[in-house]
Amino acid sequence: MSETREACWHWLSSSLVGETALLWRLVERYGTPESIFAVREEDLQKAFPKNPGGIRRLCQGRREWDFAREEERLVRLGMSFVSCEHLAYPRRLQNISQKPGGIYFRGKLPEDDRPSIGIVGARACSAYGRSAALWFAKELAGAGVQIVSGMASGIDGFGHWGALEAGGKTFGVLGGGVDICYPKSHQELYLRLEQEGGLLSENPPGTKAMSHLFPLRNRIISGLSDAVLIIEAKGKSGSLITADTALEQGRDVYAVPGRLADPLSAGCNHLIGQGAGIALSPQYILDEMGIISKSIKKKKERTQKDLEKAENMVYSCLGLQARKPEELCEETELSLIEVLRILGSLELKGYAKEVYKNYYIRAL
Amino acid sequence: MFSNVQSAALNGLEAYMVRVEADISDGMPQLLMVGYLSSEVREAGDRVRTALRNTGIALPPKRITVNLAPAGIRKAGSRFDLPVAAAILASLEKIPGQGLEDVMLAGELSLSGQVLPVPGILALVEAARDAGIRRCIVPDKNAAEGAVLEEVEVIGVSSLAELIEILRHPEKAVRVRVDTTELLREQNFSGGEDFAEVNGQASVRRAAEIAAAGMHNLLMIGPPGSGKTMIARRIAGILPAVSLQESLEITKLYSVAGLLPEQTSLMVKRPFRSPHHTVTPEALAGGGRVPAPGEISLSSGGILFLDEFPEFRRNALEILRQPLEDRRVCISRTAGTYVFPAKCMLVAAMNPCPCGYYPDRGRCTCTEEEAARYLGRISRPLLDRIDICTEVPEISYEELTEKRKNESSWEIRRRVERAHEMQKDRFLGMPSAFNAYLSGKEVEKYCPLGKKEQKLIKNAFVKLNLSGRAYYKIIKTARTIADLEGEARILEQHLLEAVHYRIPDYTCRRRSL
Repeated sequence: MSETREACWHWLSSSLVGETALLWRLVERYGTPESIFAVREEDLQKAFPKNPGGIRRLCQGRREWDFAREEERLVRLGMSFVSCEHLAYPRRLQNISQKPGGIYFRGKLPEDDRPSIGIVGARACSAYGRSAALWFAKELAGAGVQIVSGMASGIDGFGHWGALEAGGKTFGVLGGGVDICYPKSHQELYLRLEQEGGLLSENPPGTKAMSHLFPLRNRIISGLSDAVLIIEAKGKSGSLITADTALEQGRDVYAVPGRLADPLSAGCNHLIGQGAGIALSPQYILDEMGIISKSIKKKKERTQKDLEKAENMVYSCLGLQARKPEELCEETELSLIEVLRILGSLELKGYAKEVYKNYYIRAL
Repeated sequence: MFSNVQSAALNGLEAYMVRVEADISDGMPQLLMVGYLSSEVREAGDRVRTALRNTGIALPPKRITVNLAPAGIRKAGSRFDLPVAAAILASLEKIPGQGLEDVMLAGELSLSGQVLPVPGILALVEAARDAGIRRCIVPDKNAAEGAVLEEVEVIGVSSLAELIEILRHPEKAVRVRVDTTELLREQNFSGGEDFAEVNGQASVRRAAEIAAAGMHNLLMIGPPGSGKTMIARRIAGILPAVSLQESLEITKLYSVAGLLPEQTSLMVKRPFRSPHHTVTPEALAGGGRVPAPGEISLSSGGILFLDEFPEFRRNALEILRQPLEDRRVCISRTAGTYVFPAKCMLVAAMNPCPCGYYPDRGRCTCTEEEAARYLGRISRPLLDRIDICTEVPEISYEELTEKRKNESSWEIRRRVERAHEMQKDRFLGMPSAFNAYLSGKEVEKYCPLGKKEQKLIKNAFVKLNLSGRAYYKIIKTARTIADLEGEARILEQHLLEAVHYRIPDYTCRRRSL
């Protein structure tokens, strides 16, 4: 057996997609991946009678495995592999339970000595969640924090975009193979992440993004982060799995507070009730984590400066919750036409934003 | 003996004169119909023979030949029964043959001799007028329709016997008269669906008013049950009252399509057409072997309402593009090209996403991509023809049951009328009578912007990532808002409001804060 340790890890990770538990039991019994490669199928089956399917898949793959060809395939796909014994393997992942046997990635891996925060949340998010995700990601990334997320639609995507907007580093942990852009609509984000951050996965190239892989992916997101920030989550949400794994791994959990009776904030408010940190602002999180930021400037109080009186009235009614012009009319007692014109002017001055037809939020 | 009478045939919306000739000669007893006839015209012979017998006139055992001239154009429809009967009667010398050249006849006969109504009478009478004919005899149920043209004497007959009586004693005929001015005045006071019944929805009311003022096409996005259909039905009522010329055009269309209610002389209300989303392209734009006007033509002068806009078949929607631009539909057949008007205002309504509740996250189960894809089902070129887009929010219980007095359609219409007047003055002698019809070049000419306004629109162009089309749409809409205020120049405030009505662009929304 002349193959390198890395190549054998590559083989082992490729053969046991979604079976990390089996992987570590095998390693525990036989010591190294090379030795696992050499064990006969019957012996393996005898040693692990509880998981005949996993062993069968492992051995099937082994018969057709060609180390040179697989190496070449990675190169062709522009991808790299680091095993858990490699120096470049993210240090944060070393001490989590069921750590990945290896990581496939494009672009870069998160740096070990820079703080990193995971931003996760609902796929079907509200305008409030979108703004919050963009804001936190932008400010945190601007302060030099690496943003880790799952590149899913909704909060995850906005987390990445926010970080990219600040010119920060951001990393997408994928459920499938790194060569597969899922969801497809995130093609542009996918390309940006590869260039300005990294795309990583524990699964080999070509792995389809299947639903059972996503909860497993979540443990890597929390594992790569020093703290996890949940932006919006329903009562029963995948993001809460990430919060759980984060707690198991000893990471801090922050949640963005929401309104009562808002289904998308139920999960977050529950987390806060359970003792999660309350994410009041990016600065608050940075202070809590003891990160001294030079780049976060005190936001200048923009009101009253270059706004007229009526504009100021409308502006002060805007928040992160999307609001309709009619509601603003009632509050400010201005006529609808006036409010529409003021909103137009606020939008052009960069104070308001239309997030959906006729729904406005305060631009941060 | 030979005789001939005048009738007319339809070709799309236009009618042309047809001479019906009859000749009785010795030979095999039969009734022969010639002149490039469709089968319903050919069958006229049998109907006429039986109707005559049941009126007490038996045809002699002779060879009767009936010809419809010009013989080179195909004739269709059941309106030739009456002229065929008259021509045969004249050649039998049952009625005097002279004087018939000056009478146009049209109508269908039943076997008992009753005269049945036929479509297209207004167009036929118009053709007769243009040909210099002074008297038209039509089914009495259509008489009111023909009588709106005052230059022609229109006489209604209900049976063949009555026809014979009138042709024998032309002086006995009673002319049908219709007072068009009175009819047009009545519509101002007719009740019906009124904006006063719409509670809340202030921003939609405003958008509808602007759309009506400049004849801009309108897109309403909102959850089910929020009142999109209710509002759409009321938009026709805030458009200015129809003029006689408009009314005649609408009536002619409905008459040709066979949709004019019986005993109606003029359509004095603007049409509101709401085809179901399963409509075929032919039914929407017009078509058929002998082309008939489609929904877009039938709503000419009024509202074409397309509910569930993205659910329409793609090819049906795409066919709308050309008519919306040219405001007419051209249908080509080997026999010729048929032109129907399409001066309608398109009002489209849609849900924001497949489930209908986006962006209400409590109920909507769709992802942002799904919502974007839903709007994406409508092609960009078609959306480009819609100037104004608004959201119709769900209405609360308080708003729904509120007893407040809302502004009525009549009050809104007065403002819209004023805006239309301003446009009429501005576009004097131009094909574009409304702001919505302006081309890019015409926008530059008729909607000049001041320094401040130019700076604002430049800023908007960059900030809001506008396309070239969206840029012109905003200026056109701003022009209409200025017209509503009686303002000769487009001011900043008009542009700021117009910015609201642009169609949401999903693709550039996602990344920035």
